[in-house]
Parts: sequence; C-alpha cells; structure tokens
Amino acid sequence: MSEKRVEPSSAPVQQHMGLKASRAISNTAIYVLLVIISVIWLIPFVCIVLQSFRVESTWQVGYVIPQKWGLDNYRNLLQTDFTRWYLNTFIIALITAVLQTVIVLCMSYTLSRFRFKMRGPLMRFMLILGMFPGMLTMIILYRVLKDLGMTQENAVPGLILVYIASSGMGYYVSKGFFDTIPKSLDEAARVDGATRLQVLYKIILPLSKPIVIYTILTAFMGPWGDFVFARYISFGASAGKNVAVGLYDWLSKDQINKSYTMFCAGGVLVALPVTILFMCLQRYYVEGVTGGAVKG
Amino acid sequence: MKKLLAIVLALVMAIGMMPVATADGLAGTYDIKVWVANEIVDLTKQQIEDFNATNTEGITFNATIEAVGEGDAATQMVTDVEAGGDIFCFAQDQFARLVQAGALAKLGTRAQQTVQESTDADAVAAVTTADGNMFAYPLTADNGYFMYYDNTVIPEEDIDSLEALIADCEKAQKNFAFEMQSSAWYLASFFFGTGCISQWNADDSGVFTEVHDTFNSDKGLIAVKGMQKLVTSPYHVSSSEASAFANGAAIVVTGTWASKDIEAILGDHMGVADLPSFEVDGQSYHLGSFFGFKLMGVKPQVDPAKAAALHLLAQYLTGEKCSLERHTAKGWGPANLAAQANEEVANDPILKAVYEQKKYGVVQGAIHGSWWDIAKVIGEEVKVATSDEDLKAALQNYEDKMVSLFDLDTSALLFVGAWNGWNNADDTDTFYFKKGDDGSYTLTLDVPESDYMGGRIVNPGSWDTDKGFAQVTTGADLVKDLGADNPDNNIVFAAPGNYTVTWTGSEVTIIQN
Repeated sequence: MSEKRVEPSSAPVQQHMGLKASRAISNTAIYVLLVIISVIWLIPFVCIVLQSFRVESTWQVGYVIPQKWGLDNYRNLLQTDFTRWYLNTFIIALITAVLQTVIVLCMSYTLSRFRFKMRGPLMRFMLILGMFPGMLTMIILYRVLKDLGMTQENAVPGLILVYIASSGMGYYVSKGFFDTIPKSLDEAARVDGATRLQVLYKIILPLSKPIVIYTILTAFMGPWGDFVFARYISFGASAGKNVAVGLYDWLSKDQINKSYTMFCAGGVLVALPVTILFMCLQRYYVEGVTGGAVKG
Repeated sequence: MKKLLAIVLALVMAIGMMPVATADGLAGTYDIKVWVANEIVDLTKQQIEDFNATNTEGITFNATIEAVGEGDAATQMVTDVEAGGDIFCFAQDQFARLVQAGALAKLGTRAQQTVQESTDADAVAAVTTADGNMFAYPLTADNGYFMYYDNTVIPEEDIDSLEALIADCEKAQKNFAFEMQSSAWYLASFFFGTGCISQWNADDSGVFTEVHDTFNSDKGLIAVKGMQKLVTSPYHVSSSEASAFANGAAIVVTGTWASKDIEAILGDHMGVADLPSFEVDGQSYHLGSFFGFKLMGVKPQVDPAKAAALHLLAQYLTGEKCSLERHTAKGWGPANLAAQANEEVANDPILKAVYEQKKYGVVQGAIHGSWWDIAKVIGEEVKVATSDEDLKAALQNYEDKMVSLFDLDTSALLFVGAWNGWNNADDTDTFYFKKGDDGSYTLTLDVPESDYMGGRIVNPGSWDTDKGFAQVTTGADLVKDLGADNPDNNIVFAAPGNYTVTWTGSEVTIIQN
C-alpha cells in the first residue's frame, strides 16, 4: 500500500522538478543574453564617462580606465563657448517642448472630437505631406530664415521656428489616444455647461497624462539632439550653435588632440538632463508610446 | 493728404539722387567677420587690434572672430558666401573650389606685387590662377608631413631607410604609424617617391579640364611594392594622430600641427626627420610627399573702401610681424620670406624637417575632391595583395575608376626633343600638348639654341614617328628639310625662338611667336 501511495505522488513531483529546472535554465540563458546585450550597449557610454574624468592627457588613448582622475575637463569646458551652446540648446528645446505640446494636443483634440468639413481630406493631406523628408526643405528654409535675419549668430529663434512650424502634423499618436476616451464624458461635461476648452483641460488632459508626457518628451528630445539643421543654420557663428554642432567641431583634425576628453565631458553633460528626465517619466513614456495603439 | 504724399515721394526721390558722401580714403570703422583656426583666435584678435592701433589710413576694424578650421572653410563658405567670413583661412587644396564659387576677391596690382616680392615662390604659384591673377594671400608654408620618432627606440643611423625603420619597430615591438589605409594624402608619398604624377589642370574659373596621372605604370608598381613592405608589417598602424605615440608607436608620420602634442608625450625623446628611402630591386627611392600652404582669402565686397581696407588687413596678417608671432606662439611655419629668414624660424628643428622633406615634395595643386576617395583604396588593396598581379590589379582598378569619373586623357601628347633632353617619360608637364575643345593639341615652347634643334610629337613612353616633319603643313619654312638624314621624321627647327605647335589629328602647324 505504502509503495502504491508513493508511486502516484512521486511522478508529479518529478515532473514538477523538471519544469522548474527547465524554467531555471531558460531564465538563466535569457538573463545571460540580456546581460551580454546590455554590456555591449553600455560600453560606449561607460567609456565616455570614464574618458571625461581622464586628466593625464587630452587626446584619444588605447585604454579605458584613466590613469589620473580629475574634474579638469569639466572645469575647462566652462572656459569655452560650451556654456553658450548649452544654454542655446536648452532654450530651443524648452520653448519647442512647450509650444509643440500645446499645438499637438490642440490639433489632436480637434481632429478627435470635432467633425467639420474637409477633416478627412486635411488628415490625408498631412499624411502625404509628412512623407516628404524634411531635409528636402533645408536649403529653402535657410534662405527664408536668412531673409528674416535668423541665421548664424541669431540661429536660436530661427531653429525654434523650424522645429515648431510643422509640429501640428505629429498628431497621430495623441489623436489615437483621445479617440479611446469615451465621448460621453465630453457630452456630460458639455451638458453641465463646460466650454470646449474646459473639456480639453479639465476632462481629457487629466485622463491622458501618459500621452501628454510622451508629447513633451519627444518635443524636447528632437531639438536637444538635432545636428543637421542646426549646423546648416548656425554655420560659421559660434554664438548660434547648439551643443551637437559645437561639440562636433572639437572633433576636427586640428582640435581633436586638444579637446577629445573635453568633448567626452560635454557629451556627459548633454546626456545628463535627458537621462534624468527619462528615469523620472519612464513609466508614463511606455504607456504613452503604446497608448494610441488600442482603439476602444 | 495727397499733397503730403507728394511731398514725401519727392523727398524720397531727392534723397535717392543725392550723391553718396564718400569717405576720405579708407578711413572709417568697419564691421567684419574673420574666420581662423581655433588655436589662433585670440592671437588674431590681438593682431587686428594692433592693426587698428598702428595703421596710418585711419582704419578701425570691429572684428568678430570665429573659429572655423582651415579644412572646413570652403564647405562653410560655399554654403552661403554672402554670410561667410570677410577674411578667412583655408587649406590650399580648396583654392579652385573657392575661386569657382566666387568666394575670393582678386588681389589688386599693388597687392599682387607685394605678395610676389615677399612670399615663398611656390606659395605664390599656389594662389595664382591659370590666367596669372592672384586670389589669396599665402599664410603658412608648412602643410606637409614628415617623420616623428622616439629616439630611444630608433637609432639615428636608421632614419634614412624604411627597411631599417620597420626592422627596428618589429624588434622593439613598437608601432610604425603611417596613414596608408584611409588617406590618399599620405599614401601618395610612395608614388611621388618613384616619380609618378597625378596632375590636375583647371581653367580660370576653377573647372577641371584635364588630368595627367601615372600611378598605373611601372613606376607605380615599384611604389606599391615599397608600400607593401610597410603595410604587411604586423607593427604597421594606419594613423597620423599624435596620440599614436601614447598607444605604443615609435614612429608617426604626420605634420607640424601635431608637434606640440607629440612633444608633450615624448618630451626629450622626440626626434624629427624627413621621410626615409625605400629599396626595390636594388634601387633606392626617397619617399615623396604632398606639400601645401595655408592661405588667407578676402571675400568680394560691395563697398570698395571696405574691400581695400580688408586687403590691407590681410597683407598685415600675412606679413612678417604676424607670421613671426604665429610661429612663436603656435609653431606655424611662415610663407613670408622675411619671416622664414628669421633666426628663430630657420633654427626650428621641426620646420627644418619640413623644408628638408619639401625637396621631395609635390606642391599640392588643385585636386578634384573625388580623387581622395578613389586613391585611398589602394592602401587596402596593397595590404591584402599576395602577388605582383594583385598589385597590378589594384593600380588598374584605380585607373579604371579615374577614367570612368574624370574622362582621364590617356592620349596625352608630348613634344620630345633637344629641349627636354629627349625624355619621353610621362613625368614632366612642361612639354605636354594642351587638348582643345576641337580635339586638336597645342603647345607653345621655347626652342633653345643648339646644334640639333629637333624633336617629334609622341605619346608618353613611346617613340612614334607618325607625327613629324612629313605632317607639317603650315610653317614648313620654319623647319629644316633634312631629307634622307631624317629617318625618324623629326621636326628640326631652323632657328631658336618661341613657337606654337599644333597637332590637328592629321597635320602639324607651326607658328613662330
């Protein structure tokens, strides 16, 4: 009897152990893979951070760990035009983030809630327009901005204009999200006497925190790292450069040996605010990216 | 209301018709933008202030100085000439491009004379276009490469031999840095060493019209064999960075710009020398190099007074005083002759190496931008080559790409004869015929007095006899008919003088000038 009792109970236990073991193995494999991938991913960043603290020489070297540590590179950075570039970039990114967010949200709300003549054709038109690469307009934009006096040392307002000018066309994700919010909420508010604007900021926006944050983040990130437009519009004038353009010039042949470690320090400072921003807002960001995908 | 409008309009017209008050001479204050390399921004600022304080014309410049590297200047200028620097510095290879873009103002007669008298002759040639006009001021004459070495690894007696240097590096397990894999500028060194040429001719507006290129030749093969010795060494690295020394190199081939950094790494162990020689089939060839100048240009201006004032400033900045200041502060080798003769400059060991190497250097003329990419591939191909056939294939590949891109004129014609010592090799540009739009070839030459003033038209490297005396139509009275004494169909001039010779494809015409 006792043997019989053991038999049936031992079989499931063994099976259970096998499952557990195989899950442990597959988990280990996955984690090893993930660790390898993240190490590969992180190496460049770690290198840049370490190089920015290297003070024994200012050129590129064949090792990663500095022989002498110090903050000289950061101190030297403040002696250059870097502070100016940083400020330029920050102003551009901040103003763009605010204005672009307002424009995008209003646009999305309008297209999601209003039904007006030409709504469909307008959306299709913007879809097609959005398919042209923005770079194509670079030369003509330069001419226009030059005539407005917004190039070279005055590139900051010019760049803000460029970044926000077409922002209304980036409405897709947030419109998709707004579409998921039941229209009956709007109607209830309207019945209670709310205006359209009040509906937007009292009802819709509090319900769409992730998408608002996502919009702010992307609006901030675009100008923060832009290079091509910024270089073209601010050419030949240090006062109008943003960080990407200014730092790039330090990599030219005649400057790299003097400024390589300073370049790394600059890179770290550029990455810092964005990293912090992302860490704080990460959970909203993920929700936001996928938010518009499910239509209710 | 109408009346008011009429008065206003009349006033506007009157103002428009008033003669513009002209300033007395050049006196006045000018807002200008100056583009110079980052390292001399502060120095240039000081120099312009000195100019403001000392000039006798009453000129005051209110200068904004921007750091724009010489390598990048043309790209930046061409983006928008109007918004570019009023005075800017650039490397010589961008000269043609800038002239073509209308970004350089022509020098006046007096300025041209000043440059002619005060500047290195090769540098003068570098700022002169085909029609004899100058468009820039030579700033430095040090843009070439040579050899830096660690004298604790490399013994003094080995610095003249490439083979010995490679052996030293291999023995000490140190690197030999010579940028062979990614830069045509450096790898051309071997080709120039064996006497190959790659010569580009541009017309007055800077458009390339023809190219003489002999990289794919027997001499080119010798060059790549020499190159093979270096690039197949396990201790060869393709770099021209000062930092190579910090990463285990004993030799780095690079230019003056790296001197301060290398001094910081090597200290007293830094040795400087011209490039070594290499040996192929028992023959020794001294490595050649590109040699170039940095130039200072003035942008064309609307206001003639401002233009004249800017030219004065450019002359001041490229003059003896400022050149010496740049040498003292940054080690830049001046193009100004008086500054070159200065004791401090003449005794600078680095500039000594520069000028020693310059003897084997090829002055970098205008070169088509695509050439750099086409030629740099040779380095890679030589590295993986295992036989002479592979080497030949690399050169053929180079020529094929050149032909397809630039319509390389391989049917060049040369007038060989007493005037060039009967040298039919494709290495001299002096007696090449220039190909015209109609397909005819023209050459103007001086025939010096000699016993036998004869020669004939050949393809380089050959001794063709089909383009000679028998084909002369116009100008038959200028040449001697030697009858049976002329089996090679030579054209023998009756008297010395200056002649223009044209080959139409079937006949020769000769005109005495």
